[in-house]
Amino acid sequence: MITEIGNILLSLSAALSLCLFSFIFLKKVINIDNCFQFSKNISLIILIFLLFSFLLLSYAFLTDNFSLRYVATNSNLTLENIYKFSAVWGAHEGSILLWVLVLAFWCFSIVLFSKRIPKKIIVDMHAVIGILLFFFLLFILLTSNPFDRIFPIPLNGNDLNPLLQDPGLIIHPPMLYLGYVGTSVPFAFAVAILINGNIKLEWLSWLRKWVMTSWMFLTIGISLGSWWAYHELGWGGWWFWDPVENASFMPWLAITALLHSIIVSEKRGIFISWTILLSILTFSLSLLGTFLVRSGILVSVHAFANDAERGIYILIFLAMVIGLSLLLYFVRSPRLITYSNYNISSKEFILLINNLFLTVTTFAILLGTLYPLISSTLDLGKISVGAPYFNFIFSALTLPIVFLMSPAIFSAWEKTNYNNLIKKLGLFFIFSLIITYFFLHYYFEVENFIIFLAIVIAIFTILSSLYKLSETRTLSANLISHVGIGILIIGITISNYYSSQYEIIMKKGANIAIQEFQIEFNDVKNKVSKNYTSKVGIFDLYNNKDYLISFFPEKRIYNIQKNIMTEAAIHSTLTRDIYIALGEKINDNSWVVRIYYKPFIQLLWLGAILMVLGGLFGIFSNLNLLKKN
Amino acid sequence: MNFRLQTLLIVLFLGIIYFLYTGLGKDPTLIPSPFIGKTAPDFKSTDLISGKVITNKDLLGKFYILNVWASWCYGCSLEHNYLMNIYKNNKIDIIGLNYKDEKNSAINWLKERGNPYKNIIVDENGNIAIDYGVYGAPETFIIDEEGVIIYKHVGPIEQDFYNKIILPLMK
Repeated sequence: MITEIGNILLSLSAALSLCLFSFIFLKKVINIDNCFQFSKNISLIILIFLLFSFLLLSYAFLTDNFSLRYVATNSNLTLENIYKFSAVWGAHEGSILLWVLVLAFWCFSIVLFSKRIPKKIIVDMHAVIGILLFFFLLFILLTSNPFDRIFPIPLNGNDLNPLLQDPGLIIHPPMLYLGYVGTSVPFAFAVAILINGNIKLEWLSWLRKWVMTSWMFLTIGISLGSWWAYHELGWGGWWFWDPVENASFMPWLAITALLHSIIVSEKRGIFISWTILLSILTFSLSLLGTFLVRSGILVSVHAFANDAERGIYILIFLAMVIGLSLLLYFVRSPRLITYSNYNISSKEFILLINNLFLTVTTFAILLGTLYPLISSTLDLGKISVGAPYFNFIFSALTLPIVFLMSPAIFSAWEKTNYNNLIKKLGLFFIFSLIITYFFLHYYFEVENFIIFLAIVIAIFTILSSLYKLSETRTLSANLISHVGIGILIIGITISNYYSSQYEIIMKKGANIAIQEFQIEFNDVKNKVSKNYTSKVGIFDLYNNKDYLISFFPEKRIYNIQKNIMTEAAIHSTLTRDIYIALGEKINDNSWVVRIYYKPFIQLLWLGAILMVLGGLFGIFSNLNLLKKN
Repeated sequence: MNFRLQTLLIVLFLGIIYFLYTGLGKDPTLIPSPFIGKTAPDFKSTDLISGKVITNKDLLGKFYILNVWASWCYGCSLEHNYLMNIYKNNKIDIIGLNYKDEKNSAINWLKERGNPYKNIIVDENGNIAIDYGVYGAPETFIIDEEGVIIYKHVGPIEQDFYNKIILPLMK
């Protein structure tokens, strides 16, 4: 029964999406107010249908309905209920369903806040999202139907990938998708503008809110992914430049650029054409990311599900969407009225440089991600591009961007006096130099010029943002987020360069001294849980003979898939993390133990939280503006 | 818009689509081996079960599978049934290379699961594996009657390994 209802709901939604698309033509025949009403109602019905089909699948998971192939391959009787629910998006079919659901959600949401936008633009935006919905629903129905049956019906399921049985992974995919798919809104806007041929600057402040929403969700999604990797993979790392990580990071960089170029277009009426192009490129990168994750053409830790047939479908779709929208852009963008006079000494010029750097960074990461593919196609050998390339590119290109934040904040639109700016900021810069010097000297030894420079720039950004805050006495999205970036950079730099790691064989009862601490390895106990058994290490942390806390790192073996999972135990304070992971068993008395000492890594999460808060603030201050109008 | 920028974007777009297309359906984890088409490297070791001296000269004259395995290796337990099937149907000789393993645990492992191997070459410190360019266990080589490596598979073999890979190679 579930299969039939599910398929009917998906098919109806696909048909309705085509209706949504048809209004792009019908609006010439039917009164626009009626079109708008229809379009709004249809988008609501699609959302309800898809939500219902999603809940139906969740119900199948929660009731262990193994007659569905998708449930049978991704769940199990002994799985905890919360993971039965998150297993809905634990593999390919369900995550594409979630993708489509989120798309329908954004599609309907744009109507709710559309008072300031002409109805024909909204109808066209719906048409664009409608055709996207149609193709993705077709994709589900033809190649990845989560409602497909399995026969004979297995008595028990194959269990959810143990890597995904973690609290961080319950909300990581939905957040990431809200951000990923959210880039379809500026894309649909860009296409609608190109079709209609005119743009008003006030529409851009509306669009900015959507861009910021998508940016915020992407930030949350990426941070949660890192947080999960740090806690779950047991290697003390939080970012691996894995193709799938890059797939989410490229749209993030592009949408960050878009966020800044929209502001310029909105305030000064320039770079409009660029803003439109960037909207298209950002969504293209999101689609590319979906393709990379779902086709499995690159080696990745995320290669949970891959299939060449599905890959070709998404690739054709990707080529069509990007190709057609670029074509539309080339033909139509010259018609958009745009002013291109700007002064070299002005805020808009600094933001232009920011956009340039962000775009170059995005393409450098794109190149690094696709390079293994390019070299294997051109028979240059099998090559993998590793962290050294990305780290170099990233620090070389990001530091200038962060450095420019302070002048951007303090400069004025149209005309700014760089001499005054230098005088004002010079003082902050010297301050930052002094603070960095003492800070690094107090905790570590100054060794590396680049590290020093990175921290100076980060502190410089934090100081000048805080000063601006005290000057204007109003919170703003950019100041909060920029402080967040500054803190994030300090966290990344210090935890990367000053962390120490110990991979040792420890006997029970042995001690190891790390920095000012002593860690004692007490014992390893067995623990039996519902769907896994585990070895739990017991470690005590002392600071000069004073007992502080115990660690319980685990090594789990999941019953069904026999996967071995590491659960690291971490003790955090603001200035350092101590991270213990249980390695291999040597004999009854001794184990391989991995211990990491990571200074200031908490700043990383703190910085990310501030960035998200900045985004939230930006979205809601915009909403207030809406109400006043 | 600048015409040159337009051309650049189009070239970039088409290029990316092309490379993505060629990447489809290929296995990105496949690692080419420089040993294919070359004579299998010489070795001299003992047989795990009989303890007799064994060299690669003893193996000439017949197609055989050289399977790198160890009792500690999880992937090996995954492919073991498929090796047993090939052995039971008496299709082709399977020679084991017991890689960085303890003798007793290796023998126990085989007692539990069955022994598909005609001979098992002991490679306690992994030196033979280095000569063969082994990345890790399990790995499977196919070697022809003249002692030339004609195929190499990294990771556990699949159920249809014999029909899909070996049979076409032997023809």
